[in-house]
Amino acid sequence: MLVNAILLGGLYALMGIGFSLQWGISGIINLSYGAMVILGSYISLEFFNFFHIDPFISMIISGAILFIIGAIIYRGLLQPFLKGGIVFTLILTFAVRLIVENIILKVWSADYRTIRLAYAGSNFQLGDVYIPLTKFLTFIAAGILIYLTYLFMMNTKTGKGIQAVALDKEGAQAVGMDVEKMYMINFALGTALAGLTGSLWASIYAFSPHLLGPIVGKVFIIAILGGLGNIWGAAAGGLLLGFAETAGAAFLGSQWQEAIGMVIMVSVLLWRPYGLMGKKFFG
Amino acid sequence: MGENSTILQIKNLSKHFGALKAVDEVSFEVKKGEIVGLIGPNGAGKTTLTNLVNGTYPKTEGKVLFKDLDISNLKPYQIARIGLTRTYQVVKPLTGMTVEENVLVGSLFGRENRDSEMKNASKRAREIIKLVGLESKKDSLVSDITLPDLKKMEFARVLAMEPEVIFLDEVMAGLNPIEVEEASILVKEVRQEKDLSIVYIEHIMKAVMGISDRIVVLHHGRKIVEGTPQEVVNDPAVVEAYLGKRYAKGIKEVNNEG
Amino acid sequence: MPNSKKANIFLLVIAVVLFIFLPRFLSGYWVRVITTIFMYAVIAQGMNIMSGYMGYLPFGNAMFFGIGAYVTAIGMSKGLPFLLVVPLAAITAILFSILLGLPVLRLRGHYFAIATIGMSGAILSVVQNATEITGGAMGTTLPIIDKAPGVVYNYFYLAMLALMVITTLSLHFIIKSKFGFGIRSIKANEDAANSMGINTTYHKVIAWAISALFTSIAGALYAYWMSFIGPDEVFDVMIAVNTIVIMLIGGAGSILGPIIGAFIIELFAEVAWSAFLEYHLAVLGIIIIIIVIFVPKGVTGTIGDFVKRRKLRVGKKVSI
Repeated sequence: MLVNAILLGGLYALMGIGFSLQWGISGIINLSYGAMVILGSYISLEFFNFFHIDPFISMIISGAILFIIGAIIYRGLLQPFLKGGIVFTLILTFAVRLIVENIILKVWSADYRTIRLAYAGSNFQLGDVYIPLTKFLTFIAAGILIYLTYLFMMNTKTGKGIQAVALDKEGAQAVGMDVEKMYMINFALGTALAGLTGSLWASIYAFSPHLLGPIVGKVFIIAILGGLGNIWGAAAGGLLLGFAETAGAAFLGSQWQEAIGMVIMVSVLLWRPYGLMGKKFFG
Repeated sequence: MGENSTILQIKNLSKHFGALKAVDEVSFEVKKGEIVGLIGPNGAGKTTLTNLVNGTYPKTEGKVLFKDLDISNLKPYQIARIGLTRTYQVVKPLTGMTVEENVLVGSLFGRENRDSEMKNASKRAREIIKLVGLESKKDSLVSDITLPDLKKMEFARVLAMEPEVIFLDEVMAGLNPIEVEEASILVKEVRQEKDLSIVYIEHIMKAVMGISDRIVVLHHGRKIVEGTPQEVVNDPAVVEAYLGKRYAKGIKEVNNEG
Repeated sequence: MPNSKKANIFLLVIAVVLFIFLPRFLSGYWVRVITTIFMYAVIAQGMNIMSGYMGYLPFGNAMFFGIGAYVTAIGMSKGLPFLLVVPLAAITAILFSILLGLPVLRLRGHYFAIATIGMSGAILSVVQNATEITGGAMGTTLPIIDKAPGVVYNYFYLAMLALMVITTLSLHFIIKSKFGFGIRSIKANEDAANSMGINTTYHKVIAWAISALFTSIAGALYAYWMSFIGPDEVFDVMIAVNTIVIMLIGGAGSILGPIIGAFIIELFAEVAWSAFLEYHLAVLGIIIIIIVIFVPKGVTGTIGDFVKRRKLRVGKKVSI
């Protein structure tokens, strides 16, 4: 069970980071995030069904597609309305979710879908624990992606630009940085991470539009636990949530899963209003 | 008028942001009816000190006593209700509301144990608006009025709270010399009428010198000098803290006048 | 000014009287539609006090609707009369709002908005799984009123109308009061509000409790009216979404906005759903985007702007 918890947590970690970045750096609570995640799943589904491409490979494509979608949504819809405050961005992202949800329902129906991989059933042994292969692979993939995101933020010009803008918008503008571009890239990165998570998710679990809402609930909790905009915080939050859900399901029964996440979030908020790891990851 | 009782005591107040000591063991007192000037170059810690005193920032160290009551751990709204208020360097008007409504909020919620019934609070608000000279603008939205009027409104708002101590944080910032002069006169008039104690935070020297009974000088978060305007102006440490020539010229002017 | 105020009150009274007699001219179907409009207006007023006036958007406010509905259902299944259960439902909802509100309202708007979604989802889960008490995912029934359907519809029509009028009037007086100024100050500038002596946490919690009160009574009435409720139905996030769209189009932060918005949205829904059945989600999404882009202040806001501009123009004419 511990193994399952950690493996799930890894996936949650990747999922939570995208949302946390969008919220922490742009102040946008992206209610369409769940739709973006499963869109990634469906993209991988199509690539698997039509071209027999493994989701671990097609995830790159879904990541790219979701990146572009994110950029378009941000530039076209959100950026003009940022000054309207949080109510407008909430409503607009919700509208996006509705539209995407409708498209998904129309094209793929509400049925649960899966990707049946040839090697899906195999395990390997580590000590006396059996580790499911695909879950393990997704964990590794998630870990790599998280680390790549971190490297991007710390070492590339754009990444550092995003950090700068998050720390001090006016300062960044003063030195001639294209602030809006930074925000857009950050947002697109968030949706890309969502898409990547979706592809990885598809390799293990079933997916359907029913997951749309709960995903947002989960990433919200993860973002709060880890502190908004904090990559490693979100990772920690994801692991914690994965663990809590698995343990909760095992000991209390699966119906209490949602409630557990909620209880944890409220408790952490009471104790440490800025999340487990404090404010942004660099300050 | 000779009540010399101390109304506000700031003891060893410190605020550290990590390694940065924004305010470093500052202590001073304010007596009832005094105007204490709080000056220092930008970044000296004046606004941080104000935020500490009014409860907006948690203190790293130190205590604040208001009329012998320890208010160090109270929340901003509680401190406001006891009678200690502040204005903002960058004005914070209640957007979407009119000038009169802004002042009314101060009148309704300010000091506790007053009549906060709507009719009487409105009357109080209108009187204060008249006092500061904003009557013609009272129905304008705060988004439609000029900066000097915004400052007057914030002043009126704070007065409507009927405080005993006001921290005026750089009220003059952004005003031209004529407006500065008008504002100084207004502050002096109001202080007379309402028997207030004021901590007057500024870095426009002329305004502070003419109005303060005493001056406290901050630099890099520490108090470097305290005394009468004359004492402070001639203190070498103070001259050093500020940019030399321009300030020295300011001293000459004040010395020649006073 | 007092003349136009008296004129407004007169018009409103006439409107209410017209509504009271309207059912005589309408089919049962339309009576039900308008009852639903009244209900949405109440729920929207509940959200209006939080979001329109205070600037804190409780996305999951539908949870109080569901709580109101379920407490009513459970209470009546134990034999309690409706009029006794309604206050119980309201009190339960208020208690929830206080317990859940205290930790989350201390913080700022962001957290609150989605925290309420999570809470709503969690409560939905609990209700779905506590089958012995709530009937679980299959729903639960309430006693049916032993009268002709037409009569029953009219009862609920009038009840909802009354609720809407009472709610709207209450909100009007609350906003004019000292407490109302406190709420509006929080939206205007929360920092300044704190420094002016406003206990913002207290105001936020009480505002949410009032919101819970309105919304839960709407839920209680709904449950008794439908005689059958299920968890997915009364905790549906679409209730909140519809409510937000209603507030947007009616104009947030105004007293009549939610009512106007409810009429526009529901009537549009009646007309459009049959045409757009398979695409209604996407259509709703597109409508939301269009409203945000073109009419962000809603009907009342845009009319308000128009009136102000006319006043300015008239003023200019006079002074020249």
